[in-house]
Amino acid sequence: MLNKLTWPILAVPILAMSVGLSLTACKILPTPSAENGGNAPAFNPDKMVEEIWAAKVIPYLQQKAGPFAEVHALAKTDPAAAGAKYGNPKKQANSPWTFAVRLEGKIVAANTQSRAATIDIDADGDGKADARVQIGPAVRGTALRDSLDFIQFNDFTNQIDFAQFGKSFNIYVDKTVLSKLPRETLEGRTAKVLGAYTPGSGQDLPLVTPAEAEIGPKP
Amino acid sequence: MKLTRRMTLAAFAGMLALGTAAPAYAADLIAIITPSHDNPFFKAEAVGAEAKAKELGYEALVLVHDDDANKQSELIDTAIGRGAKAIILDNAGADATVAAVQKAKDAGVPSFLIDREINATGVAIAQIVSNNYQGAQLGAQEFVKLMGEKGNYVELVGKESDTNAGIRSKGYHDVIDDYPDLKMVAQQSANWSQTEAYSKMESILQANPDIKGVISGNDTMAMGAYAALAAANRKDVIVVGFDGSNDVRDSITSGGIKATVLQPAYAQAQMAVEQANDFIKNKKSPAEEKQLMDCVLVNGDNAAKLETFALTN
Repeated sequence: MLNKLTWPILAVPILAMSVGLSLTACKILPTPSAENGGNAPAFNPDKMVEEIWAAKVIPYLQQKAGPFAEVHALAKTDPAAAGAKYGNPKKQANSPWTFAVRLEGKIVAANTQSRAATIDIDADGDGKADARVQIGPAVRGTALRDSLDFIQFNDFTNQIDFAQFGKSFNIYVDKTVLSKLPRETLEGRTAKVLGAYTPGSGQDLPLVTPAEAEIGPKP
Repeated sequence: MKLTRRMTLAAFAGMLALGTAAPAYAADLIAIITPSHDNPFFKAEAVGAEAKAKELGYEALVLVHDDDANKQSELIDTAIGRGAKAIILDNAGADATVAAVQKAKDAGVPSFLIDREINATGVAIAQIVSNNYQGAQLGAQEFVKLMGEKGNYVELVGKESDTNAGIRSKGYHDVIDDYPDLKMVAQQSANWSQTEAYSKMESILQANPDIKGVISGNDTMAMGAYAALAAANRKDVIVVGFDGSNDVRDSITSGGIKATVLQPAYAQAQMAVEQANDFIKNKKSPAEEKQLMDCVLVNGDNAAKLETFALTN
């Protein structure tokens, strides 16, 4: 009688002990697999960008982009409202906003000495530059990637894959758009750009990364 | 006879179970596991997490795994055994850590990762990491500017098992390799270590006296490299680091190292504890598991505002 009564009670601590034992006795050894790139051997960011560029990226930016002056003014006074309208609302909570913009105006300065070449554009006709546009071949940052609401960091294995994907946008735009732009006597010409920028990323002027760009003939 | 043996065994087991269960009745425990505190970056993480845990009424168990995945696995066992309600972890390897965090999850202990990611989602509750790629691009852009877009340079890479070593190197090269007149003459790992960076820099400098710059995967290696350059009377060599430590801040303000990239280590660790608290008390997970925090360039313009991995206003 006593025996029957005690057994179920005793079973609990014994079970607890055996669980405890099995946990401490278990040693996990590191798997000597590839460090970089993780478990996605088929990851080909250049191809991914090529496949979505005309079908998704350009239509998205065309639909989302606002005139630069309007976007920039709203971004200064109410970043959240600007983000909802011109940004990617699904962005990482801690990441800054990146806005889709259209920019049209006169080239007032150009830096083609650096490989990260840029043109400064006066959009409001006051003779002063309002934004700086990257014209490659070295293109900085990840503004194009970060402007798209269908690209999420959590869909990638790790930062490395996500970073490569960002770089692939820059390579693609340089190859298909920027490398075809003129490089000589740029000042005084007109420019028309569809692209994206992250406020605060440029050291002085807002730095716009184009997805489409046209430069007019010499005046 | 048989009965008494059973009884003794059972009584012993009962005592054991009581013994392990007892700490759970004290203040709830949060385990904080990081690499060695020899690197002030990891120390700042541990200090930040511990302060926040205590502020929220927890007891903190601070442990270091010394970048050893086996030791990390044992520490996770310790955290589980001590009845920790959550683990804050700066891990010892993107692949090796997945099983250890899974083990904690299976035992009902949620993990909140900081600084380094793992190559799996759905195992940890949160992975709050610095945007190392964005930070590396900032550092590399400053390096390119300081170098005048040309010259020979050396890269010191971090510990290979750490994802951040690879991603920072990738971020550096994605910027620097766009400049064909910048030539990397040596690339070596100094395993995040100041002393190792010193000796590696000495021998690299002997083989390549014509270097103009050194870009380093973290601040401790940058400190080691700069000390070796100074000892060889080569203070003209441009050195750029990564992390935003007080040591490098002091070097920048006294005209030594030129720039670094600040990772918000202290804030990141505190955020992880806040999310752990929310999970323990309200069963609430953060909106996204993987959360990126942007880094900030630190150079002569803003170095004076840097203190313990945070910029003051």
